[in-house]
Amino acid sequence: MKDCNALVKDNRLVAQDTCLMTLACELSPFTPGQFLMLRLTGTCDPFLRRPLAVLSYREGIVEILYKVIGRGTSLLAGKKKGEELSVLGPLGKGFSDPRPEEEAVYVAGGTGLPPILALAERMGRGSLIIGARTKDDIPLWERMQNIGGVEVTATTEDGSLGIRGMATQALNDLLKTVHKPCVIYACGPTGMLKTAASLAQVFGARCEVSIEERMACGFGVCSACAVRTTAGNQKVCTHGPVFDASCIEWGI
Amino acid sequence: MDISTRLAPGLCLKNPILSASGTFAYGEEFARMFDLSLLGGVVTKGLSLHPKEGNPTPRVCETSCGMLNAIGLENIGVDAFIAQKLPFLGTFDTEVVVNFFGTGEDEYAHMAQKLDIEGVSAIEMNVSCPNIKKGGIEFGKDPKILNRLVAQVRQSTTKPLIVKLSPMVTHIGEMALAAQEGGADALTCSNTFPAMAIDENTWKPILGNITGGLSGPAVKPIALRIVWEVSRQAAIPVIASGGITSWRDVVQFLLAGASAVEIGSFSLRDPLCFGVIIQGLIRYMHDNSLESITEIIGKLRTP
Ligand SMILES: Cc1cc2nc3c(=O)[nH]c(=O)nc-3n(C[C@H](O)[C@H](O)[C@H](O)COP(=O)(O)O)c2cc1C
Ligand code: FES
Repeated sequence: MKDCNALVKDNRLVAQDTCLMTLACELSPFTPGQFLMLRLTGTCDPFLRRPLAVLSYREGIVEILYKVIGRGTSLLAGKKKGEELSVLGPLGKGFSDPRPEEEAVYVAGGTGLPPILALAERMGRGSLIIGARTKDDIPLWERMQNIGGVEVTATTEDGSLGIRGMATQALNDLLKTVHKPCVIYACGPTGMLKTAASLAQVFGARCEVSIEERMACGFGVCSACAVRTTAGNQKVCTHGPVFDASCIEWGI
Repeated sequence: MDISTRLAPGLCLKNPILSASGTFAYGEEFARMFDLSLLGGVVTKGLSLHPKEGNPTPRVCETSCGMLNAIGLENIGVDAFIAQKLPFLGTFDTEVVVNFFGTGEDEYAHMAQKLDIEGVSAIEMNVSCPNIKKGGIEFGKDPKILNRLVAQVRQSTTKPLIVKLSPMVTHIGEMALAAQEGGADALTCSNTFPAMAIDENTWKPILGNITGGLSGPAVKPIALRIVWEVSRQAAIPVIASGGITSWRDVVQFLLAGASAVEIGSFSLRDPLCFGVIIQGLIRYMHDNSLESITEIIGKLRTP
């Protein structure tokens, strides 16, 4: 991990309220699921960095896909080519690779797409399920369909793209058809993660989830990002964000 | 040039820059980014007698030029700290200030006793927490209670004793004198300011704990006034805490009367800020032909 200045190469809207930013900066190699802490340079407002998952990193160019939801991300969306940002990372613990004998199933809901897409692109095999409210909420649809070796399914609540319904329903249907060891990788709303974890139990699959939690530091010093696990409180930013789903105490 | 600063008999920092409690954990993560020997001192996360789990999440929230936190004093407990963390801190050429709190007077005293060991340079008492046995009023809000608490801890330790004041009092000078008369060697001014944030879409508080403590540049002007007021009234050294982000802030706090400063929230966003700030201070002193920081401390020119 290091703190470096990054130059904005491109920053554009790719779906409703969702931007894809490319930055030039020197990072060490990343594992899908790892994240960066980004901040605008030269200002104390906003004060804290924003945690954002790495979508890809190749030859000094990092891609970040983010939803514009608050003040920090709005300001980020306003950054133009040639402007500078400060980048700390890559941080946290990413996904483990699927074992050779395992079928990989990637599930993303809401803002959970970036780490999941990063993993699917890296592995180049398995099935990807992306769930959203409506068609307009799904970014990079063409790109997803062109990941060699990965079968892609979309679910939308209004049926505007792919199957009408929830990503977890599609996951359930898919798991019924898989007759070998399986690993599920999930990132998205807590409800979705919880359902994915229980489906994994039912079908005897391994399951890794990437947890989203508010952070202040991102490198393990402030204890902002606690998550309850079978081993007591753990820090999402350093012990995670990727956890074995069977270790998480989901609460209600 | 001499940038060392004296906080108590037997406690001299090589420079006036310390980390702050709760934003530095126990030093291990920062040690991966820079050599902790650079610092005047390290202040640890607040410790309790037993490990503590903390509050429900969300525990932090962004505010204009600052942040709210309601971590709930999550920590590994004093015994685990002594066994697992203190030896590592001892490998650096810096002072180790251990922050702690208790639920009652006896617990504070017991903690102080446990920490009266080699490797601990000084102890910093957090008194902005509720006195469980006395209906939950904060120790730091009543001068008599504070005075008694400090006096009891004083008798339980041979270490330099720093009392970190709560800013939420009518007369902070009175609290400073109460702690001083109880036997404090130095005062940290001050802890975070109770505050809150609300989501207008969900109609819910943002923090799991509803309220939290405000820190960062947003509180700096208030912290500066508190340091100035306390250092005029108390005879013992003052350590400033609140919104420090640059060498300029450091010089301002020294002028207001602080003998050292703690950098908290800012190091969460800029973990390498400590070295930059120390270099900036040295350069400022050089440019102004200052030989010692004692030439700055408390030298505010008032009309
Ligand atoms: C995340 C966080 C955790 C903190 N935990 C403690 C603590 O355990 N004990 C304590 O005395 N102060 C604690 N503080 C207060 C800081 O040490 C410091 O006094 C305060 O944040 C003001 O300084 P700053 O503006 O530089 O952050 C905490 C502050 C933050 C932001
Ligand atoms: S965000 Fe600070 S410990 Fe995880």
